[in-house]
Amino acid sequence: MQKETIIPESRDNAFRDLIIKMPGGENLLTCMQCGTCAGSCPVSHEMDYTPRQIVRMIQLGLKKEVLNSNTIWICTTCFSCSVRCPRGIYPTELMETLKPIAMKEGIRNKNAKFDTVFADVVKKNGRASEFLLFSKYSISEPGMIKQAPFGISLITKGKLPLSVAKMDDTRELEAIFKLGEENDGMETEK
Amino acid sequence: MVDNEKPKNIGVYLCRCGGNISDVVDLQSITESVKGENVTVNIQDYLCSSAGQEKIKSDIEKGKIDRVVIGSCSPKLHLETFRSMVKGAGVNPNLLEITNIREQASWVHDKEGKDSVNSKVRGLIKGAVARMSSIEPLVPLEKKLVDRTLVVGGGIAGITTALELADDHEVILIEKQPYLGGHMIGLSKTFPTLDCSQCILTPKMVAVHNHPGITMHTQTEVADVAGSPGDYSITLKHSPRYVDIKKCISCGACTRKCPAGAIFLPFAQTVPQAYMIDMSKCDRCGACVKICPRDAVNLDAKEEITTISVGAVAIATGFEPIDPSFIEEYNYPSPNLLTAIEFEEMLSAKSKTGMRLQKADASFPERVAFVLCAGSRDFTGKGRKHCSKVCCIYSQKQAQLVKKMKPEAEAWIFYIDMRSAGRRFEEFYHHTQEKGVNYVRGKVAEIIPKQDGTLMVQYEDTNLGRKGREIFDIVVLCPALIPSAGTKELADRLGVPLGDDGFIEEKHVKLDPVNTLNQAVFAAGCVLGPKDIHDSVTEGVSAAHKVSQFLGKGMILIPPEKPMILECNGCGDCVKACPYNALTLSGGKAMLSPLACTGCGICVPACPIKGIEIRNFTRSQLKAQLKAMLEDAPGVVVFIDPYAYAAADIAGVNRKQYSSLVRFISLPSIHVLDADVVNAAFEYGATGVMLIEGTTDEKLASRSDDLYKTLKKDTRKHKKPLRYSHIETAQYEKLTDLLNVFASQAGAKAEKRSRKEKGEEKGEETMDA
Repeated sequence: MQKETIIPESRDNAFRDLIIKMPGGENLLTCMQCGTCAGSCPVSHEMDYTPRQIVRMIQLGLKKEVLNSNTIWICTTCFSCSVRCPRGIYPTELMETLKPIAMKEGIRNKNAKFDTVFADVVKKNGRASEFLLFSKYSISEPGMIKQAPFGISLITKGKLPLSVAKMDDTRELEAIFKLGEENDGMETEK
Repeated sequence: MVDNEKPKNIGVYLCRCGGNISDVVDLQSITESVKGENVTVNIQDYLCSSAGQEKIKSDIEKGKIDRVVIGSCSPKLHLETFRSMVKGAGVNPNLLEITNIREQASWVHDKEGKDSVNSKVRGLIKGAVARMSSIEPLVPLEKKLVDRTLVVGGGIAGITTALELADDHEVILIEKQPYLGGHMIGLSKTFPTLDCSQCILTPKMVAVHNHPGITMHTQTEVADVAGSPGDYSITLKHSPRYVDIKKCISCGACTRKCPAGAIFLPFAQTVPQAYMIDMSKCDRCGACVKICPRDAVNLDAKEEITTISVGAVAIATGFEPIDPSFIEEYNYPSPNLLTAIEFEEMLSAKSKTGMRLQKADASFPERVAFVLCAGSRDFTGKGRKHCSKVCCIYSQKQAQLVKKMKPEAEAWIFYIDMRSAGRRFEEFYHHTQEKGVNYVRGKVAEIIPKQDGTLMVQYEDTNLGRKGREIFDIVVLCPALIPSAGTKELADRLGVPLGDDGFIEEKHVKLDPVNTLNQAVFAAGCVLGPKDIHDSVTEGVSAAHKVSQFLGKGMILIPPEKPMILECNGCGDCVKACPYNALTLSGGKAMLSPLACTGCGICVPACPIKGIEIRNFTRSQLKAQLKAMLEDAPGVVVFIDPYAYAAADIAGVNRKQYSSLVRFISLPSIHVLDADVVNAAFEYGATGVMLIEGTTDEKLASRSDDLYKTLKKDTRKHKKPLRYSHIETAQYEKLTDLLNVFASQAGAKAEKRSRKEKGEEKGEETMDA
């Protein structure tokens, strides 16, 4: 995938034109590829494309690769890139813009799945539960089973509580999720 | 000839140059070995500073010294400063000389052992001291200047120079093309403000045409240069236009009648406003002659030659684009594959498409690519090394024009580095990005013309590390900008050296940017290197100021190092030898016209009774210098003329290392030498002697072979190597290669000889390798 030659058929200018009108895309055309974003990013070594490369790929309209990247899911929203970008681009917002588009396109790589599971847990309980997150994600991502001994040792040491805290009233939260599902293509268990 | 009347107290001043010299050369040890009864030595951090100069001045004023030897950077930088300082203190300026221990020692031998560099510098300074005690005070000659300037080139730089000068000094402006405006009149909009080129240029062209102080000649080139700085006689060649500029009212009656389409106005705003005939199309039917109401057409016009007299010359001959067809992978020329100049012209006053951007089939291009650095930044020798400076910005301007004419059209810029240094340029870059121009960092690898007239471009997006292929309707190559054809011929005629990039060498890269090494020749615009309109105008204004300053003095100082005729038998050999007709026989004796004399010294070896010497370069003075220079350690003696000396300076600035055995002796020209001096060099211990000249004056260079052959024959008894080489200022790399080869050959030969001598005489001679 990464070494594929860029040809007109692999480029989608409409995708570029869509993104530059969305949050995080405003100044995207003025990127000069300086690399401040990737240099500042604490997790760029885990990404298949650095934020700089993602911006360049959007300029070229490489839609498929941008949306399939793990970059947009790995971003921890620390905002270092956005604070430091000399051209006023907000890669953090850009990632948030790209996630729902990837969802709508039906992209379900393991990073996307993790976010989906996380959202499920929060939607149901109003709070995050590491135990539920861990166990549900293991079901959808079979490779995770290798992590089971680690999980068990966490449980036995009391580091992974099995009890799940719940919010008293989840109505407002449900409304938020509903909005997200209707407008942004967010997907959770119904 | 030698001033023996009063004692000579020589002050030697050595400059540390803030470590540039003292980090390599042990100045303290030099001091110890040089100081003596009448020689004091002093070391300063920066001799050129006011503290350094003050020290010399106060030593003179206290009566401690009356002659000065300076060991510092090249005399090209500060000789005039120091000389005017000592003049102020009451010492004849000629009694101060600079020994170049930076460009010719510390900067070029710092990779060698300290001992060998110290030994060289010691020799140089000792030689300079010996020379200083033997030379005489001289007063420069004065010559009246001709208060008229020739400006060569009618582009924006030449136009600016002419207009800035013409209120105070008479100007003759010549232009090779049939119209003024140079490349600028062929531009569309100008970055970074996007104002139209002809709108800002036309008023200036008209002003040149109307200015009473400017005589303008189009279709004119310099054919020959005679005379000397301040008083040139220049031959101009005028190609025929076949239409009298003064008579033509550009009514256009001729062009309507012409059946062959041969008579035309180059473009609507042409200055001068006059039609011209393309004789390759004309069938001489005479229709234009008959219809012209002003009788302006003359089909029998011939090339004309005129001669003008000027005091100064300003060169503003500009640039031309390199022909990109040598870049095989780009397949230029091909339909729809343009140079940026061709792209500009399509949208300029000179447009042949009605200022419409169009493909070969006359339709508007939907996709346009700009390929930067086509032939620039290339160190293989196929293209040019330099960056053409303006392409990054003009290609963005052209991309903006495409987007302006059709917002949905695509414009791609393929660049290596986006260089937008300079006021308002980064903003221009940012603005172009906002317009949606696609920037690809990566040099285009291949351009392949397709059957349908489109062009396939193959590249790597180096930001993504991925190859790419795109199809374009038009591809614009941004070619390397090189000096315009004929620059070298003109520069050679005027005795102005070029850099190895072919552009004119400035007197000083930073501090004298529009002066050349010829005091009467100035330069402005792209003939000094690629630049934009703003910088060309700045240089035009500067050059005008410098010309005005030069002419304003009314007089030119001529170096006083001229021949003196000590003895004459009236044989006339020197008269025959002199290439400048500066010697005549009068009353059975040779007489010198000092103003015609260039001080080349050809007359010195020509005199059969050794009756002629050049002042301050006499045989005995040169021998004294050689003796002292070689006293402590042998070396290779290199006699060098000012043009080749400038090459050695460039080698120094570029830190090109060469053997520290090399000892330069600077001469006005190598032609002052005869076997006496060269034999003396060998006797005093030179392991080899080289003659290096860089002059482009054919009158001298054509005689160098004979000089070399004579010297070779007359110094044969020493069995030591002698070589001659012609090195122009630009060829500093050739110079250092040559010096290295020669020094090692001379060294090897000397070693062999000493081994032989040891074998025969059990001598204790040792030799540096």
